[in-house]
Amino acid sequence: MLLELRGVSRRFGGLVAVADLSMGVSPGTVHGLIGPNGAGKSTVFNLISGVLPPSSGDIHFKGERISGLGPAEICRRGIARTFQATTVFSEYTVLQNLMVAGQPRSNDGTLAALVCSARYRRGEIDAHSRARALLAPFRLDSVADRVVGTLPHRDQKALSVGMALATGAEMLLLDEPLAGLAAQETRDVMDLLRTLRRRGLTVLLVEHDMRAVMDLCDRITVLDHGTRIAEGTPTEVQANPAVVEAYLGAAVGSEAGG
Amino acid sequence: MAPRHAAISPLLALGLLALAGVILPLVTGDSYYLDVATTIVMNLLLTMSLRMQISTGQLNMAHISFMGIGAYTSALLAMRAGLSFWLTLWVGALVAAAFAVPIGAIALRLTGPYYFLITFAFSEVARLIFNNFFVGLLGGPSGLVEIPPPGPLLSVAFTGKLELYCLMLGLFLLGAAILVRLEYSRFGLAAGAIRQGELLSATLGVDVLRYKLTAFVLGSAMAGIAGAFFAHSHRVLHSSDFGLEPMVQLVIFTVIGGVGSIWGPVIGTVLMTVASELMRELRHYETLVFGLVLILTMLFLPDGLVSVPSRLVRALARTRARRGAIGVDVAT
Amino acid sequence: MSLSLLVQALLNGFGLAMAYVLVALGLTLIFSILEIINFAHGEFYMVGGFVAYLAFGVWGLPYLVALLGAIICVAAAGVIAERLVFRHLRGKTLNAFIVSLGLLWVMQAAAQLVFGVQDKSVPSPFSGIVRFSGVVISVERLAVTLAAAALIVALYAFLEHTRTGRAMRATAQDADAAALLGVNIEAVSALGFGVGCGLAGASGALLAPLFSVSPSMGALPVVKAFIIIIIGGMGSLPGAVLGGLLLGALEGVGTLFFSSAAVNLLGFLMVIAVLLLRPRGLLGGT
Repeated sequence: MLLELRGVSRRFGGLVAVADLSMGVSPGTVHGLIGPNGAGKSTVFNLISGVLPPSSGDIHFKGERISGLGPAEICRRGIARTFQATTVFSEYTVLQNLMVAGQPRSNDGTLAALVCSARYRRGEIDAHSRARALLAPFRLDSVADRVVGTLPHRDQKALSVGMALATGAEMLLLDEPLAGLAAQETRDVMDLLRTLRRRGLTVLLVEHDMRAVMDLCDRITVLDHGTRIAEGTPTEVQANPAVVEAYLGAAVGSEAGG
Repeated sequence: MAPRHAAISPLLALGLLALAGVILPLVTGDSYYLDVATTIVMNLLLTMSLRMQISTGQLNMAHISFMGIGAYTSALLAMRAGLSFWLTLWVGALVAAAFAVPIGAIALRLTGPYYFLITFAFSEVARLIFNNFFVGLLGGPSGLVEIPPPGPLLSVAFTGKLELYCLMLGLFLLGAAILVRLEYSRFGLAAGAIRQGELLSATLGVDVLRYKLTAFVLGSAMAGIAGAFFAHSHRVLHSSDFGLEPMVQLVIFTVIGGVGSIWGPVIGTVLMTVASELMRELRHYETLVFGLVLILTMLFLPDGLVSVPSRLVRALARTRARRGAIGVDVAT
Repeated sequence: MSLSLLVQALLNGFGLAMAYVLVALGLTLIFSILEIINFAHGEFYMVGGFVAYLAFGVWGLPYLVALLGAIICVAAAGVIAERLVFRHLRGKTLNAFIVSLGLLWVMQAAAQLVFGVQDKSVPSPFSGIVRFSGVVISVERLAVTLAAAALIVALYAFLEHTRTGRAMRATAQDADAAALLGVNIEAVSALGFGVGCGLAGASGALLAPLFSVSPSMGALPVVKAFIIIIIGGMGSLPGAVLGGLLLGALEGVGTLFFSSAAVNLLGFLMVIAVLLLRPRGLLGGT
């Protein structure tokens, strides 16, 4: 298991958002995290990425405990995420956004920048070329130098996934990457995810597009009211009556909008 | 290869600034206006370093206190230990930075208005200490007097207005060069990212606390330098020099100019100081007008004066587009 | 040290603190509704003091009329300030700070132009002292304390038992949710600002006979108010009362042993400690 949650809970005052959740994600797979609205999926992302600490339980990544660490440290260890509300640096250009994500992790660069050492300059050139290399897969070449705030939502969404990738992470947490996309764009993103899987990346995916989820994912964990109600391959999950009941009418196989 | 876009090459802008600084004494002569110019240049160092901190998303109300720490340190070392200004200047900066490390580490556990309030509390603690405690050392409510001027350097005496102005100009250009270099480097890129989205930056691996602390300590060191200069050029120190009023003035200069650009504080400081001088005769009316300027600027130019050129450009582009749409022949 | 001396010190501290609590309540109410820190708040206190000076000291109207007049005038000024200026700055700390500074300067300069810089004394509407078990308190101070307490109770009643008041509390808790429930956020913001300023004005009018009025009289109370609401919890009204009582106790007793500068220092150190250990204050919410 690359990522493991053991008995993870998260409480907000009297409200229990996640209750005693245990699950694992195998390396090199696309793992789906589905459930009706309010099931706690975003909270799980916040817990894994260090935005919130768990109230109880442990999270392990690559065999090491990451629960309780801050988001920057967890990113440095190899987990990057996107947000449900597409979050980018709107005053920066596309390229600048990618460069922020792709910054070398050695230090804050102050002394190095002032001294302008050879190593610093090489680091900058590397970051720049890595950022450029990410433009094509996300179809952002034509807008590389455009200020992101002026771009259409679709491009911003693509950029946010690109930024997660730019961090050099081994595992991506993608929060509804297909929301609001047209059919062709959806297919493009799904192809991209398959490519990433081939390259050895691991993806944990929250999505409402059931067809995409069943098509793409190797395994699926189903949440409802903060607890795990099912887990298994797409076939197993689809056949599970508890899952069908939880969705109550959002028939598995249709495109339930997020 | 700068990762940030700049309207004018930053090196060019810095060069122009240096040129303007060098020419200025020829215009003002050895008059009162040279003193004003010296104060402006000192404030430029203070506001540009404050702006650097603001660019990482922190409004540090204790900036002036670090100026005070640099000032008192340098003055006392010169008066009590007989050390040369040319040494105490840097010791003052180091001591300010040394205090900034623990204070910054504590204050930066908070954000937004809470950070603002805790730094304000620290600044009041500092001011009260300067004014009422260690009276034998710091001078108490009467302040510290008879601080020696800088000693001669390379057989040039530094007691006259012109020499002091050149000294401050040199210190400022050094500080500005450092700030410009940082702004257009990985540091500036990350700082802007933090300002635009702290959580997003953190989840992308940016060590937010470390950047903020670096900005805090570096800014405090620069304030310490300004303080040491102030002590030895002014020759008198009083706790009110490092209280809320001068701090507020710095904030106003910085924000009115515009915090989005590294040159914002330059515009803000110069224009506001000049305006203040011009209106000096009007006393209460001056305060009234300044208050109105503040209110109106924040309501209509929330990005500061430095955004005026780009706003004009955009307004012109809109008029052109409209004209083009109506079918009027627009020859470009 | 005798008990009566301690009680005397506490009473002295409390008496003043109650008036500062009014200022603090206004400040925290404004913060909770509009999410901005109004640095000009002390100037509304000052205007209240001047209205009392004019109405009671110069024109000879009954003190109660002067007090009510101060509250109404300052509340109206607050509503105007909110409509013209602050409504655009919801949640924008930096810009709101600058704007409130500008307003501070405008108000102070205007007061200086109209009244001059000198302190003006206001006659005391009450005379005499009250004695009980070795403790002495002037009737004036007692009246201030009681009036402040009455206003606090009135505020509580307004917020708990009137529809407008409840709408204000809902907005303070969660503006978006309140809007969804049909609360007119704009009206509530304006009214809240007015009420907050009115409280400050009341405090200025109450303290005018004790301390004389001047254009710069707002500086000290506003700093005290900030200390109070940080300790009590920003946005918490009971917190403001508790913070005021604690500060009053600290200052009353502290000045028995330490210099006033040391007591001030202690106040700010308390602020730092609270911000670090319990940033939401003693009674603050999330």
